[in-house]
Amino acid sequence: MFEFQHITKQFSEKFVLQDFSFKIAQGDKINIAGRSGIGKTTLFRLLLGFEQPDSGTILYENKALTDTSVWELRKKVAYVSQDLNIGRGNVQALFDETLSLKANFAHNTNSKADIKTYFALFELSEDLLSKDIEELSGGEKQRVAIINALLLKRTIFFLDEITSALDKVLKTKVLDYFLQNPEFTVLYISHDNYIPTGVELKTLKLD
Amino acid sequence: MFSMFMCGLMLLIPLLGVWHMKLGITKNLIVSTLRMVVQLVLIGFFLEYIFKYNNWLINLSWFLVMIASAVLSVIKNSDLKLKHFVLPVLLSFILANFFVVLYFNYFIVNISFILDAKYMIAIGGMILGNSLRSNVIGLGDFYKALRKDEQLYFYKLSLGATKYEALLLFAKKSFVSALNPTIATMATMGIVSLPGMMTGQILGGSVPLVAIKYQIAIMIAILASTVLSISLSILFTVRYSFHKTGTLKKEIFRSSNN
Repeated sequence: MFEFQHITKQFSEKFVLQDFSFKIAQGDKINIAGRSGIGKTTLFRLLLGFEQPDSGTILYENKALTDTSVWELRKKVAYVSQDLNIGRGNVQALFDETLSLKANFAHNTNSKADIKTYFALFELSEDLLSKDIEELSGGEKQRVAIINALLLKRTIFFLDEITSALDKVLKTKVLDYFLQNPEFTVLYISHDNYIPTGVELKTLKLD
Repeated sequence: MFSMFMCGLMLLIPLLGVWHMKLGITKNLIVSTLRMVVQLVLIGFFLEYIFKYNNWLINLSWFLVMIASAVLSVIKNSDLKLKHFVLPVLLSFILANFFVVLYFNYFIVNISFILDAKYMIAIGGMILGNSLRSNVIGLGDFYKALRKDEQLYFYKLSLGATKYEALLLFAKKSFVSALNPTIATMATMGIVSLPGMMTGQILGGSVPLVAIKYQIAIMIAILASTVLSISLSILFTVRYSFHKTGTLKKEIFRSSNN
């Protein structure tokens, strides 16, 4: 599905990735590990086209990722970033805005019921819908961002420390939701060392 | 002559005040005052000739010079690089201000020669001058917010937004901050402030109600010109300010720190 071929990426003087190669197949569950500052998030940003590699190629479905194909990829991947700057206004408005984008319009039909289901699943009260995003706690924001990603009905997920503000029970629940689904291709950064049962995890260690 | 002398005498108040309080701006104050006097006197003579000849080509050219200076001032007061922005912003300002001024002259002042020097230069100057601050805020804040909140912009792209869909949020915000000062001024107009144009007309012998008619029209024209020039400048500049992948070009900013 994705392949990094000899990727090198440098920020000012520091090499983040040097001749880095890696393959990701459909249905893979890949835990990206490594100490902080090593460039884990950079992998996501390279895949989404927010950064360009200094050299090397990224393949998406066996074709080199280009300035144009990256826009298509962004419609296939659901990205939950560690940075929880997800917008202003209330939570319902955030969901509405996400679903009003041209790329997502098709998923608008059942969204009310979907939101209800996800809120129950991730233990959020529906009163939250009318609250301002800025008033939410870190854990609430994380779950709202996760739900916003799930509403897209995509099957590829890039998850960047999405459970850091959640308690243990919720952490397990959230990670299980993504890792136990055989349809999902999941790349995730997490410091939890959580190992779900019955799932073959791959680890991508950066150092 | 005596009146100008008395006017100069009044300058002693700020001058002595600034000097006595050692504010360190005495020199700036004198230089600025002198510049103002010289510029206005020169423009006074210049306008005498322009009004006398009232040639449409000269009028048009002078109005273009005025627009170009406004554009330079807007870009210089933001953190944006002149060479990337001058052409698209100039084009936006020309379209916006010509449209508003010609509309004003034709439908509101109701003159048949819509390129008349008196109207085009005077009204155009009022509109340009009064929308300057809003334009600085509108265009400058748009790019400043984009750079500061790049994560949010990326987040929208990752949700599948097109470049324009993702930028809408930022454009909306910059419109609000650009228009708020004008909206506040309008709400107190007449009570707190008698605008310069009205004062001028009343001193020139107009009936207050006539002066008011033009003042209302000019305020609306300022708003129209502001909204048009900000929309067009954002629309025209975003075409050049992003890489094909949708990321903001860093080289459009004068300062390099993030």
